[in-house]
Amino acid sequence: MDQHNGSNKKFGMVIDLDKCTGCGACMVACMAENNVPVREDETNKMLSLHWMRVYRLTNGKPFPQSEECFLPRPCQHCEGHHGHSPCVSVCPATATDYDMHTGIVSQIPTRCFGCRYCMAACPYHVRQFNWWDPVWPDGMERMLNPNVSVRMRGIVEKCSFCYHRYQIAKDKAYAEGRRELQEGEYQTACTQACPAGAILFGDLNNPKHAVARIAQPDPAREGKSRNPNAFRLLERLGTNPKIYYLSTREWVRKAGDTEVRKPEKA
Amino acid sequence: MENPKANITSTAAGQHEKKDGAGGPIILFFILGLAASLVVGWVFVPETFYYTKEQPIDFSHAVHNELVDNGCQSCHFFRADGSYSGSPRLAQCIECHQEANSDDPNEIRFVEEYVKKGREVPWLVYSRQPACVFFSHAAHVKMAAIDCVTCHGPIGESDSLRPYMKMDDCAECHAQAKVSAGSVQTQKDGCLVCHH
Amino acid sequence: MKIDRRSFLAFVIGGAAGSTLSPLPWKLTDDISIWTQNWPWTPVPPRGERTFVTSTCTLCPGGCGISVCKVDDRVIKVEGLKGHPVNDGGICPLGLSAAQLLYSSTRVPGPLKKVAGGWQEVSWSSALGDIAFQLSELRAKAMPESVAWISESDRGTTAELCKRLLTVFGSPNYIRTPSLQDTLETALYLTQGQRAMAGFDLEQADFVLSFGAGLIEGWGSPGHMLRARSAMRAHGGRITHIDPRLSKTAAKADRWIPIQPGTEGALALGLAHVIIREGLFRKEFVDGRTAGFEAFKQLAGEGFAPEAVAKLTGIDAKTIVGLAQSFAGAKKPLAVCGRGSGRVPGGLQEALAVHYLNALVGSINRPGGVIAVPEPEYINWPEPEMDATASKGMQQPRLDGAGSSEAPLARYLLNRLPKALASASASPVQALFVSGANPVHGLAGTAAVAQAFRKIPLIVSLSPFMDETAAMAHYILPTHTSLERYEDVPSALGFPRPVLGLSKPAIKPLLNTKHAGDVVIELARALRSPVAGAFPWADYEGCLKQTLGGSWAALTKAGFVVDAKFSPSGFETASKKFEFKNSELAKLPAFAAAAAPGDERSFPLLLVPYDTLRLAVGAVGSPPFLMKTLEETVLQQDDVLVEINPSTAGGLGLVEGAAAMLSTPQGRARVRVHITDGIMPGLVAMPRGLGHTAHDKFLAGKGVNINDLIAPVEDPASGFEAGWGIRAKLAKA
Repeated sequence: MDQHNGSNKKFGMVIDLDKCTGCGACMVACMAENNVPVREDETNKMLSLHWMRVYRLTNGKPFPQSEECFLPRPCQHCEGHHGHSPCVSVCPATATDYDMHTGIVSQIPTRCFGCRYCMAACPYHVRQFNWWDPVWPDGMERMLNPNVSVRMRGIVEKCSFCYHRYQIAKDKAYAEGRRELQEGEYQTACTQACPAGAILFGDLNNPKHAVARIAQPDPAREGKSRNPNAFRLLERLGTNPKIYYLSTREWVRKAGDTEVRKPEKA
Repeated sequence: MENPKANITSTAAGQHEKKDGAGGPIILFFILGLAASLVVGWVFVPETFYYTKEQPIDFSHAVHNELVDNGCQSCHFFRADGSYSGSPRLAQCIECHQEANSDDPNEIRFVEEYVKKGREVPWLVYSRQPACVFFSHAAHVKMAAIDCVTCHGPIGESDSLRPYMKMDDCAECHAQAKVSAGSVQTQKDGCLVCHH
Repeated sequence: MKIDRRSFLAFVIGGAAGSTLSPLPWKLTDDISIWTQNWPWTPVPPRGERTFVTSTCTLCPGGCGISVCKVDDRVIKVEGLKGHPVNDGGICPLGLSAAQLLYSSTRVPGPLKKVAGGWQEVSWSSALGDIAFQLSELRAKAMPESVAWISESDRGTTAELCKRLLTVFGSPNYIRTPSLQDTLETALYLTQGQRAMAGFDLEQADFVLSFGAGLIEGWGSPGHMLRARSAMRAHGGRITHIDPRLSKTAAKADRWIPIQPGTEGALALGLAHVIIREGLFRKEFVDGRTAGFEAFKQLAGEGFAPEAVAKLTGIDAKTIVGLAQSFAGAKKPLAVCGRGSGRVPGGLQEALAVHYLNALVGSINRPGGVIAVPEPEYINWPEPEMDATASKGMQQPRLDGAGSSEAPLARYLLNRLPKALASASASPVQALFVSGANPVHGLAGTAAVAQAFRKIPLIVSLSPFMDETAAMAHYILPTHTSLERYEDVPSALGFPRPVLGLSKPAIKPLLNTKHAGDVVIELARALRSPVAGAFPWADYEGCLKQTLGGSWAALTKAGFVVDAKFSPSGFETASKKFEFKNSELAKLPAFAAAAAPGDERSFPLLLVPYDTLRLAVGAVGSPPFLMKTLEETVLQQDDVLVEINPSTAGGLGLVEGAAAMLSTPQGRARVRVHITDGIMPGLVAMPRGLGHTAHDKFLAGKGVNINDLIAPVEDPASGFEAGWGIRAKLAKA
């Protein structure tokens, strides 16, 4: 049983964009871990199911001043104000919820009836709708992960921070008579797979965890980072997300903001 | 069933009385509808659309529980990673049932059809959770120290099984124990505790 | 009896009341909610015991440790192995998708024989018997050398078994597929006198200068390179990348310097010129541990002064001087070569020029430098007994010309085989075995390759998948996939220390397949004496266990063994020094960059290939997961997008996503364009790994195989494939 002795966790990520090479391992790890189906043609990204997607950012300058950066985008697990993240506030089915104990924005497929309000509400496009019945290439249904339920047609799905891995990690701790997990015992699939070590995952509320040390969230300013290289996506919307990005490049940090600027002429 | 007959006679009478607009036959029609739907709801549908499945092997917990040393854990145990083994696999059964140990026809059939052919027994497990549920035995047994019988009943001493375990059964206990009251939507326990 | 409206309504109301008193509506609602959550066509993965199998990935020569996650007897996922010296838990997207290859629908279920109108399923004994019979005929005709074997690797027990089979049969024609390894090994051999593998200690370097090497796009061991790059930058190391295109490596480098494609070698010599002129080289290394420096001074002489190099490369002289100064000024500089993932060997002299740069700054066999990693020596089988036919066959020249007077330095020249086949009236190859390679898709100029292969009377494919080469074969003897077999992994490509890995079966073979080693052993047995005598092992597993001997226990447990005490040995040249010049180097022609084939007037643009970790190139095709990760700027429906600069696009009247016809002297293909500032004007870039005609519907028919459009180019110094691009034309379609 998940009793918390008053200490709520706030799982979050720090993604170092200087380290990220855009290789796509996080996307594949996520698909394999979370039973994300694959269709024959996945080139229309508006219809393609991705819990984790790597975006390519450009500085908009002409050759040879052009620069690129890759930005992995899982669900941002917004806290908003007191857990009222954009999607949670609009869900009429209690299918998406904010868990105060973990800070995870959940999406329960069996409760969702596919109204897609949450997709409209999410400013990060992390939510996708199952337009089709999930289909696996012949024979590949054998590699489905039994710890994540397969979603059916007509519902919305998104990243869960691999919540099932939290449950598995807790099971192991319980079996060993521990209530608390150590740092690193619960890791998302993308964090584990990243060959560049660009993704860190942990408890933002625990000052000993690397994510908290690097992200340095300021509780007085809705978690805004005190690290000058850190930023969150569309921070000014007040979504209070739990994914902190790091970049030493200023244009990258600016790209995470809402401000729409004309590309500078070189 | 005497009512239908009564209905027919009264309907005939009702026809006669209809001219002066009396309500008698209408009540009879009401009763007819009521009776028919009760029959459909209680008898016809359950008997036509629901059926009872037999276990592939008539397994007796009582018999086994007497023979093993370590109670339930002899066959149902925690693995090293904290997950729960659930119903035993054939490999476990074979440890004792390489050959039939008795002349019980069920055991002989078990050995012939499953052990010798190396087939897993397709047990019908009443407590098996659907794919969208993550149930942690470790949380309930190790942490909350709940006995097996609390959810499974005295299954170890009998042959009769609980028919079905519904979410209400879980929710009732969770509400009492105030499990993970972290939901922003419900202000009590959220779906995430068990569902994914 | 008359039933009027009122009585009917009464009946209905009575029915409704009765229903609410029966369990029906509640039960029905409940059941419908359960029923609609459990459509029979939505798969429900069975639960079970979760276990992990420690193994080594064999999908590329990277040698990453993997942990295969299983639930009961199903493989769920492949993860990186924490604590492995190469990848330490990380893993590339292809390695992650290995389970999709295991469960792929394009796997060949059992031995197949090509008959008129298609494939016929045959038994292993009949297939092996037929093949052995045809091979015996060749031996009887005293032409054993007409048997050739193409494979991705020439190290490890499986490769050694294949080579051994050819040797006792009497053929010298074991051919490793071309790669950067060819040039790097030759460069090490020429300058250091060692038959060794080139390892790069990127992790400890503080200034990495990459001459187009796709350090994070599949170059070397991807699992290692991505980790090493992060580690290197964490201690303040910086990367400068030279590339005409803003590749991922360029985008993630600290500095990107665009260059005229094909002139990377000239830049390396230009940098050497500046370093020598300004006396920036490490005197203690150059004076104490090298020979022939004076000759090298001449090689990197006035012809490679910054102004001259600036003209060639398009990089201004000031940048060249500054780059040379910062490279030589770094504590642990490291220069690396090899375009993209290193699928093409490239020019030998370009590799040498870059290697010389490392020598100038003393970055040879020291932490943060190029390390000569000795070839593993755990395979010590007794010399096989050869009969007269075999000895005579082994003395015949190689069909690919490697080691001949024309190409004395090369060990394998698969790029030459198509020409050798095409020029002869009767194919000099009478039987070809292909294992762990897909040359029909992967060699430049695929049309000529396929045409040459069609002349071969017997092609035997050992591919687990129905790939392009397998589709051309006469027999397919399907082998196990990477997750179903034992395999020793003798090294990790580009890793600076020796590491021996073991691939372990995570699952029993799903289909009627065999291990390639067992195919060899059984084929040898079917060939009878004297061939069979060289294979005393009952099966491959027995052979592997015996060969690995004392390491077996450690390998099966940890998945790898490393030599903790390893330090690079001294130079093995005649002078015991690093040689800028010696008799063999003197024989090389004057340095010249290979030009792109084609006529500049008819083909005003240059088509260059690029690599990405999101597309598999080599023996396996991209599994569905990889295809799904492709960006919309790479593939749209079935069309590949080629990258062009806005100025190139403007001149041609092309807009983003527009369809275009891309033609080269080799052929033409319909493409779409992606307009990006990340590429030099005048260039067209296309990814490798698309345009498959074989494999599943997720891969087949998507995009264009760039090898259809480019032509092989031979390096005059070595004979290696050195093509990096071809002249091209793009027109609105």
